[in-house]
Amino acid sequence: MSAKLDPRTKLYMILIVSAVVMMSATTPLLWVVRIAMTLIPLILLVAEKRYASALRFTILYAIALVLTFCFLSEESTGILQSLLIGYCGIAVQFLPALITAWYVVRTTKIDEFMSAMQRMHVPDGIAISLAVVMRFFPTIKEEYASITDAMRMRGISFGGGRPSKMVEYRMIPLLFSCVNIGDELSAAAITRGLGGKVKRTSVEELRLRVSDWILILGFTAAASVFVIFKYVL
Amino acid sequence: MDKKGLTPKDFISIGIFTAIWFVVEFAFGILGYIHPYIVAAYVVMLPLAGAIPMMLFYTKVEKFGMLTIMSVLIAIIMFVTGMGYLGAPITIASGLIADLIAKSGNYKKFPKTVLSYGVFCLWICANYFPILVTADSYRQDLVDAGYSAEYCDNLFRAINPRTIAVLLIVCFICGCIGAFIGKAAVRKHFEKAGIA
Repeated sequence: MSAKLDPRTKLYMILIVSAVVMMSATTPLLWVVRIAMTLIPLILLVAEKRYASALRFTILYAIALVLTFCFLSEESTGILQSLLIGYCGIAVQFLPALITAWYVVRTTKIDEFMSAMQRMHVPDGIAISLAVVMRFFPTIKEEYASITDAMRMRGISFGGGRPSKMVEYRMIPLLFSCVNIGDELSAAAITRGLGGKVKRTSVEELRLRVSDWILILGFTAAASVFVIFKYVL
Repeated sequence: MDKKGLTPKDFISIGIFTAIWFVVEFAFGILGYIHPYIVAAYVVMLPLAGAIPMMLFYTKVEKFGMLTIMSVLIAIIMFVTGMGYLGAPITIASGLIADLIAKSGNYKKFPKTVLSYGVFCLWICANYFPILVTADSYRQDLVDAGYSAEYCDNLFRAINPRTIAVLLIVCFICGCIGAFIGKAAVRKHFEKAGIA
């Protein structure tokens, strides 16, 4: 079975997972649903041969879950606990959404994304901007790593001991390179006819396959179970 | 210059600066898990931290709609990262008002930009909205999610209907201060380089 999914399915996954993430799990059943929903993007990551990030996310999530269930409760106080709460709070609450978002960002090509947006009749402005945002997170990470390297070569770490310089040594170079990349990006986009009056066509034919429908149904079912058992029963 | 509509170049700038602004915001947002008072302190930290990228963005804004689209994107991202949909209308409204203010200064007058950025920053308070509107169930959610009662008590002591007005005002003022700092940084680094 090919693991390639339609971008619309992926967006739907993000939507459902984010909605579920906002509602906290209270009973064991809800936890099971939630963990199952987290496992699906993890499996998909493995299917896309992104073993390293799948492993990393699995470990992070597992540790957070274990900690939450075994050590933390309403009564926990103290500095260590509050740091742990910090970590677990982020991890348990937001990792499902983060993993899904990561999976989508890393495996969706921009042209696929754009043509999916076009099929859903999203205004061009929002579609283009969102596509750029999606593409840009990895770029920012790379650029930031290069800037850190460059600064280390000059013997500057963390603002050279002066926290106020941190902004000047990190954020300003980052902004410079991002603005330049943006200019290149818009040149490339215009070359490909973005913003023209004509309806754009795409090389990728978007089609909802069987695997797409299975996932869509699965996520819908999971979300309904979650909502019904939390609010109705 | 073509005044009619936004070009792909504008959309790309919006995307880039939204991404940067979100990264900055996220870096500080994580701190909030350490202590709830830091959550309340977002109104000070985020406008100041985001000021430099935003002031650079303002130099690129020339047409109506860019700030509005940015606020829509922020609302979408906040939803995707699990912050809820309750704040979305406020986020978009603050973006729209900020856009109108900046437009009244033709996107060039600095005092209008300061005001506009101050208003734009009010979206940060939109994140507090679930805490205010659904206070009881939100507290229960937090406790269920593994937060301690202490954290919740502090959170609700810091953010409640009485303090929200103060938080809004502080947020606006910090936005204005941030605008001056950001403008100074932009002038120092970018205008000489010919980017701004």
